[in-house]
Amino acid sequence: MAISAAARLEARRALEPLPLLEGEQDDGTINKTLLDYVWRKPGKGWLLLIGLGLAGTGLLTLALVVTIAKGIGMWGNNIPVAWAFGIINFVWWIGIGHAGTLISAILLLFQQKWRTSINRFAEAMTLFAVLQAALFPVLHTGRPWFAIYWLFPYPSTNRIWPQFKSPLMWDVFAVSTYFITSLLFWYLGLIPDLAALRDSSTSRWMRRIYGTLSFGWRGSARHWHHYKIAYLLLAGLATPLVLSVHTIVSYDFAVSVVPGWHETIFPPYFVAGAVFSGFAMVMTLMVPARRFLKLKQVVTARHLEAMCKIMLATSLIVGYGYLMEHFLSWYSGNPYDFYQYANRRGILHGPFKSAAQDPYIPIFWLMVFCNIVVPSIFWSKFGRTNVYVMWVASIFINVGMWCERFVIVVISLHRDFLPSSWGLYKPTWVDLSLLFGTICFFSLLFLLFLKFLPAVAVQEVKEMRHELHKEHERHEIPEFSQEMVHPMELEVGEEEKR
Amino acid sequence: MKRLVLAEFAEPEPLVEAARKLRESGREGLDAYSPYPIHGIDEALQLPRSKVPLVALIAGLAGATGGYVLQWWTNAIDYEINVANRPPHAWPTNIPVTFESGVLVCVLTIFFGSLFYFFGLPRTYHPVFEAEAFRSASLDKFWISAELREGEEPGDLERALRELGAGRVTHVKEED
Repeated sequence: MAISAAARLEARRALEPLPLLEGEQDDGTINKTLLDYVWRKPGKGWLLLIGLGLAGTGLLTLALVVTIAKGIGMWGNNIPVAWAFGIINFVWWIGIGHAGTLISAILLLFQQKWRTSINRFAEAMTLFAVLQAALFPVLHTGRPWFAIYWLFPYPSTNRIWPQFKSPLMWDVFAVSTYFITSLLFWYLGLIPDLAALRDSSTSRWMRRIYGTLSFGWRGSARHWHHYKIAYLLLAGLATPLVLSVHTIVSYDFAVSVVPGWHETIFPPYFVAGAVFSGFAMVMTLMVPARRFLKLKQVVTARHLEAMCKIMLATSLIVGYGYLMEHFLSWYSGNPYDFYQYANRRGILHGPFKSAAQDPYIPIFWLMVFCNIVVPSIFWSKFGRTNVYVMWVASIFINVGMWCERFVIVVISLHRDFLPSSWGLYKPTWVDLSLLFGTICFFSLLFLLFLKFLPAVAVQEVKEMRHELHKEHERHEIPEFSQEMVHPMELEVGEEEKR
Repeated sequence: MKRLVLAEFAEPEPLVEAARKLRESGREGLDAYSPYPIHGIDEALQLPRSKVPLVALIAGLAGATGGYVLQWWTNAIDYEINVANRPPHAWPTNIPVTFESGVLVCVLTIFFGSLFYFFGLPRTYHPVFEAEAFRSASLDKFWISAELREGEEPGDLERALRELGAGRVTHVKEED
C-alpha cells in the first residue's frame, strides 16, 4: 500500500472524536478534580462575585417590597399592555431552565455520553431559573397572599374552585410539577456525590453536614439496584415534561385571540426556543466556571462543540418559526394578523423608517440579529471551537431570546384590534430592578452551588471513565499506540493467525 | 448483634467474581459497595427484580386519575362555572392537568418511595461505617461485606476474600 502507516494513523486520529475526558484519569484524579475544590478556601474572585450577587439580590428585595406594599401599579403595565415584564421574564427564565432537563433527561435516554460532564451543572441551572420564573406570575397576581386559593384547588372558605379550563391553571400545575421533578431528579443524582464529599471531608462538621445531606448513603449494591431504575424512570418522566411545560406556557398565548398570539405553531416553536436559550445560558455559565474551577479535563472542547451544534440546530428551528408565522399572517388573509406581522414589526418598511411610528420595531430586528444571524457563526469550526466566540455568542442569544418574548408579549398587545385602544408600554425602575435583581439572585445561587456542591456528577463521570476504559480493552484498541491495526487492513492470513 | 467481614477491591470485576463465588458457597448476608453502579453485581448477588417500576406505574395512574377527578368534581359538580355556555365537563381541557398530576404523583412516589422504603434511608449509622477505611467505598474503591454466622471466627472468611483478590480486609461489629 502506498500510504505509510504513520499517515494512516494521522488520518484516523483526525477522524476520531475529541475525547470526553482529557488526559490519563482514574477515580482518584477524578475525585481530585471534581471534589477537592469544595474544600479549598474561596478565592477573592468568588467573594467579589458573591458580593455583587448579594447587592443585586438586595435590589430585588427592594423591588419586591415596593411591589407588594404599593401594588403592581408600580410596574409599567397598563391596558392594553397588561402582560409585560412579568410575563416576559417568566417565559424567559422558564425557557432557560429547559436545557437542564433536556441535557439530564433526554440525552440520558439517548445514551449521549457527553452529557455526563455537564448534566449536574445544567440541572442546577434549571432549578435556579425556575425559581426566578415562579416569582413573576405570583407577583403578577397583585396580591400574592391570595394567590394560594386562586391557583391551588384546596377547600377554602370561599367555596369556589380554580377554573381548570384556563391555560393559566394548566401553567400552575405544569410549572410546579416541573420544579418538583427537577429538584428531586437533581437531588437523587446528588446523593452519591454528597456521600463522596462526606467521605473525603477532613473536618468533623463537614462530615456531619454532608453525611446528613446524603441521608447516610453507603453505595450498597442493593440500593444501586433500585437507584438505577429510579433514576432512569425520573429521566423518562422529565422528558415529556420538557415538551409539556413550554407547550403549556405557549398555550397561555396561543389559546387567546390576540393577533400575534393565536397561532398553532407556538408549542413546538416555544419548546425549541426554550432549549435554544437554555443551552445559551449553560454556555454563558460553563465557559467561565470550567476555567475557574479547573474542569477543563472533564468539560472538554467536545462538550462545548456539541452544545454549539445544538444551539445552531435550535436556532434554525426558531428561525423557521419566525418565517412561518410571518408567512401565515399573509396566507391567512386575516387583516389584523397581517398588520401585526407586516407593519408593526417593520417588515414592509424596514427597521428604521417604521421605528418613527412604532418604538418597538428595533427590538424585533435585534431579536432577528441575535437569534438568527449570531448563531450562524456555529456553522464554522472556528465558531464552535473558540471559547471566546461562543461565550459572546451565547450572551447575544440570551438577549435575543429575551427580546423574542418582548416581541410576543408587548408588541402583540400594544396595538390589537381597535386603534382607539392602542397604547404604549414603558417599564418602570421597579420592572427593571426585578429583571436585574433576578439575574443577580440567580447568579448568587449558582455561585453558592459551585462552591458547596460538586458541579459535575462525579459518580457518573467515574462510571463513564470505567466504561470507556473497558470498551478500549474489549475492542483491543490500544489508545493510539503504534501497533494499532484496523481489522479491515489485515491480510487474510494474518486474520487467521489472530 | 451483627458482625461483618469487609474486604476492599481495587477494581469492580474481581469484586463481582468474589461476590458470585461467596454466594455459590452458601454465604448469606452479602452486599457490595461501590462509588458507582457496577455491572453484573445484580446477577452475582441474585437480587430480585426491582419493584420500583411497578410502584411508579401505580402511582402515576393514581395521580392521573386523581387529577382528572379533581377537575371534573370541582368544575362540573361542586361549583359549576358557566363560561359562554360551554359544557361544564369538557374533557379536552382536562388533559394537561391530568398529565401533570400523573407525573407529579409518580415522581414524588419514586423519589420518596426509593429513599424511605427501598433504600431504608435516612440512616446515618450502619455497621460498615465502623471501619474507617470504608470511606473509600464512595470514592475510588469497591467493597464487599459478608455476615458472620453465630460464633464463627472471621479468619477463614478473611483468608478466602484475600484469595479472591481483595486488598484490605477487616471485620466490624454493630454497636449495641
